[in-house]
Amino acid sequence: MVVVLREKIGNLFRRQGPPETQHPFWAMVQKEAMDHINSWRFMILLGLMLLITVASLSTAISSLQGAIAEDTATSFVFLKLFTATDGSLPPFITFISLLGPIIGIALGFDAINSERSRGTLSRLLAQPIPRDYIINAKFVAALLIIAFMMMILGLLMVGSGILTTGIPPTPEEVWRVFFFLLISIVYIGVWLNLAIMFSIKFKQAATSALSGLAVWLFFSLFFTMIINIIVESTAPAQVTDINELISYQGFVQNLLRISPSQLFSEATTTLLVPTIRTLGPITMEQASYAIAGPLPLGQSLLLVWPQLICLVAAAFIIFGISYVLFMKQEVRSRS
Amino acid sequence: MPQRWQKTAFFFMLLCLIGGILFPVVPALASGKVMLFTEYPGIAVTPGESINYSIRLINSSNSIQHVALQIAEQPEGWETNLTAGGWSINQLSVRPQSEESFNLQTEVPLQVEKGSYHFVLRASGSGSTSTLPITIDVTQQGTFKTELESDQPNMQGNADSAFNYDLTLKNRTADEQLYALSAAAPRGWNVDFLVSGQKVTSVKVEANTAQKISVTIAPPSEIEAGNYLIPVKAQAGSFSAETELEVNITGTYRMELGTPTGRLSTELNAGREKMIELQINNTGSSELEKIKLSNTAPVDWEVRFEPGTIDSLLPAESATVNVYIKSSGKAISGDYVVGIKAQTAEVADNADFRVTVKTSALWGWVGILLIALVAAGIYYLFRKFGRQ
Repeated sequence: MVVVLREKIGNLFRRQGPPETQHPFWAMVQKEAMDHINSWRFMILLGLMLLITVASLSTAISSLQGAIAEDTATSFVFLKLFTATDGSLPPFITFISLLGPIIGIALGFDAINSERSRGTLSRLLAQPIPRDYIINAKFVAALLIIAFMMMILGLLMVGSGILTTGIPPTPEEVWRVFFFLLISIVYIGVWLNLAIMFSIKFKQAATSALSGLAVWLFFSLFFTMIINIIVESTAPAQVTDINELISYQGFVQNLLRISPSQLFSEATTTLLVPTIRTLGPITMEQASYAIAGPLPLGQSLLLVWPQLICLVAAAFIIFGISYVLFMKQEVRSRS
Repeated sequence: MPQRWQKTAFFFMLLCLIGGILFPVVPALASGKVMLFTEYPGIAVTPGESINYSIRLINSSNSIQHVALQIAEQPEGWETNLTAGGWSINQLSVRPQSEESFNLQTEVPLQVEKGSYHFVLRASGSGSTSTLPITIDVTQQGTFKTELESDQPNMQGNADSAFNYDLTLKNRTADEQLYALSAAAPRGWNVDFLVSGQKVTSVKVEANTAQKISVTIAPPSEIEAGNYLIPVKAQAGSFSAETELEVNITGTYRMELGTPTGRLSTELNAGREKMIELQINNTGSSELEKIKLSNTAPVDWEVRFEPGTIDSLLPAESATVNVYIKSSGKAISGDYVVGIKAQTAEVADNADFRVTVKTSALWGWVGILLIALVAAGIYYLFRKFGRQ
């Protein structure tokens, strides 16, 4: 069963046509992707994600009835599948925010150092291909796998949503889900790049994996605690000016936004809950005569545009660092 | 002196003799045979009135008198009749030393000149005759026509109300008449005639009686304020009567505020200004004067009108006003309500606009620029390290 599934998924990545016309870079990407798909690691990750999907879907559907009832005016029923919860389990977006980094780290932590420890890196470099093809191909292959996995999960959510609720999604909902999946891919891509960077930096795969997990743990557990400590020590004792309070609130929010998961959850929550109009504090002046209503997709995207830019830029910058590290690294043959 | 006394006695006797020859009635009455008597020999009446005169015939003799009764003289055109005991009579018998009553019935004609009219009644018994002159004064000029009148011919109300008038139709002709009722109302008016609660177009009135008629007048709803005269007419053959009912319409004040397209929503970027065309319709029937425009907008928003006031707006006309809405630069994206109110001293209307604030896409482009810079950096790294 597993073998058949692997074959099938592998076929998706196998390029059709004669191999000699294939560009060497894409041949490498294909080989890397096939390696991932044929690994037990991928199957475990896919199983884990499927489990998450089923769990969050069940918790969403059980609470969907109440969620529909409480806001009839702006019923983006379909998006509730991703955000609603009955309290027993976190919703889908929280799962992705929490466990997405694991996928990225798992697919990237041994990208370079396993080749190095197996001694295949020098052999690869002996091939008549540019050196950066190796790291680029590894990154692109892993990102393709992530994109593939996220799209499967997203379609699974949408499909089972249609089956259980009987409501087809509106075009706007489809776009919002699409952008959510895109942001998820970028978010996981950030962690993938981080893991690749560690795999270049550390010779041992275990060290690299542990470093990745340490960063993940830091941001998901300790980061908010540290921010809380900072807030307690720096909060103004007496509020004399409303603008002072607002700017302090903005400062704390910006501190929190150092964490990629904070950026990710802000971006995805805004996209999947169209009634969110702003992420910062609202003054009474701004709230006067405002009507609660969903934002159009373009406005929601504009609202989270900085978060998106930050995530993409973080991915690019970490990739750039790993690229420079890899290109400057000495590779000795071990034979 | 004695001669003088004789002379006076002679003259007195002569006077008595002459009196006896000249006034034979007086001696006849005095002779005590039959005599006609009534208490009211002179009465005053109005045209159309029925008179039932009670007259007594007195027999002062000692024998039964058979008396022939006759109206010796009467005005032309008056119908008279002598009755007693339910019959029409021309003879009456009276027991000795007794009296008997009979009636003279007559009707004053409707068409009669004002003045005095004389009747002479003659009773001729065996050997004695008695006459009774009766004078009837007609105090009014008699008519022979139909009258239509209203106690309250003027009413006031607005264009939406119904006006109810009470008319009295008097048939002062000799015959029963069937009157056709009509009203010469302008187009759009609705006039109904009601008799005992039923809508009618004609009414039957007996001779010399009156009939109450209700008239309900409903003006057109879009009518202008002012005085309107509605002539109503009752016609039966050559007889007709007409009266005018006055309706005083007070104007209604109604105003509608909207946009020419009917759309009450707009979009604008935060901190930017947008013009919306407003339309004010005068849907009432009076001229609206000094229409002022005001607004309820979120804090730090600017709303101005051009023109700020409309001096005058005639009924069924509309005016356009440009309203410029400028949102606060701090407005968050999403929907806001901007209420706009138009009011005069009499009436007001308001319209709520749903204004969707959009954030400027400028920062979006800045973000894209940042990404482009980072991508350029990566490309630089590719060039520097990649293809050595």
